Amino acid sequence: MSDQLGLLNDMRLSILDGDAEVSRQLAERALADGLEPLTAIEEGFVPGIHEVGVLWEEGEYFLPELVTAAEALQSAMAVFQPFLGDKVSVTESGRAVIGTVAGDIHDIGMTLVGTMLAAHGFTILDIGADAPLETFIEKAREVDADLVCASALLTTTMTRQRDLASMLAKSGIRAKLMVGGAPVSAEWANEIGAHGYADNAVHAVNVAKELIRG
Amino acid sequence: MGTLLMQMGLETGEAPESWLFKEPEKVEQAHRDYAEAGSDIIQTNTFGATPAKLAAAGLEGQCEILNARAMELARSASGGKTLVAGNIGPTGKLFPPMGTATEDELFTEFRTQAEALASGGADLLNIETMFDLREAICAVRAANATGLVVFTSMTFDKLKRGHFTMVGDRIGSSLTALRNAGAQVVGLNCSVTPATMLSMIQEARECFDGSIIAQPNAGDPQQSPDGIEYDVDPVSFAAYLLDMVEAGADVVGGCCGSTPDFIRETRKALDNRG
Repeated sequence: MSDQLGLLNDMRLSILDGDAEVSRQLAERALADGLEPLTAIEEGFVPGIHEVGVLWEEGEYFLPELVTAAEALQSAMAVFQPFLGDKVSVTESGRAVIGTVAGDIHDIGMTLVGTMLAAHGFTILDIGADAPLETFIEKAREVDADLVCASALLTTTMTRQRDLASMLAKSGIRAKLMVGGAPVSAEWANEIGAHGYADNAVHAVNVAKELIRG
Repeated sequence: MGTLLMQMGLETGEAPESWLFKEPEKVEQAHRDYAEAGSDIIQTNTFGATPAKLAAAGLEGQCEILNARAMELARSASGGKTLVAGNIGPTGKLFPPMGTATEDELFTEFRTQAEALASGGADLLNIETMFDLREAICAVRAANATGLVVFTSMTFDKLKRGHFTMVGDRIGSSLTALRNAGAQVVGLNCSVTPATMLSMIQEARECFDGSIIAQPNAGDPQQSPDGIEYDVDPVSFAAYLLDMVEAGADVVGGCCGSTPDFIRETRKALDNRG
């Protein structure tokens, strides 16, 4: 294996290990060796985080591993940030208001998504479970949110996502709406006019980033 | 309990604990309904009554008074005919790397609630719906310090590789750790259907020889013209609980969606078993 391939592989492993110190050092070494930051990111660190997502879906990795992996990615990205300029948008983060809609007290999935978004550099305003729709709007306005994330775990409460979509549209707030939850699907998200849908916390990070990129 | 209070009109955004002073008659009636349905143990309306969880619900500084009030209502409804369990749920705080909680902090949270429930006259403490073994152990230690009998259930998901909590705890090692921390009865509640929980109880019994409690949901939630309904009916629910007893559960009960009808059928089924 060439030096560069070995370095890229170590980057991938540092993410899989969730080792933020090692990933930072590898990022610094890449710069010192003259490796293009984009190459390091796209061929080293990002394959690692994708693999973490797969391992999570397979039930090999759990919430702590997801979070440490995301932190390791953040730590490497922080090293590259000054050299990236506007070339790459993977470090983009934003402000997200997250909650489970009124009438629904399930908060584990929402917490999972909030934690993953926070680990990827989003500023999270958690309004909790059973959150009145007005609160989503008020908080989004208050913090000038990029994203509103609404979870619903019941077939009865998912209709509130539709109400929230129309309230957001009327409010004139710029935030985009991402929905999720056990009974929710991409078709549903589309039908109600939500901007994005994610079926798990790993997917939610990708969707959130895409939405923010516009 | 929560399901019944919602049927009785608990509003969106209202913490169930807020009804302890606002609608005490309804809370007491819910307890009475469960007692009359044949429960051996009823439990207080205090699932979210640790200081941190109450503060998050806008009930800051009311841990002692709300837990005392909850015990008072449950004991009055019981009239000495059932045992009364003080109910304790997760704090909502997460340990690193997910959050910033420390074991000392969570122990103090649980100790404050456990002491209030014990002072109010709880016969036992029932810790439920724990999804992180570390938090569950903090709760068990705090509950244990009251000298009361401690029941503890955790909630597991069915994944491709088996049954795990969201932080990766497995059933067998969790139950053993909870017992070693001082819980007398340990087991599973919430999240899954009775059918899935039956297979989890079978797994638990294979690797754990202590007393086991099983409290499944009444199936998956469904929309109906009358509101939320769960897709397992009371008779089928009771049959599943009997199967769990056969599989080695020592204590059975219901979680989300299990209204007094479910408990009544279960009582009947348990009493009629050969």
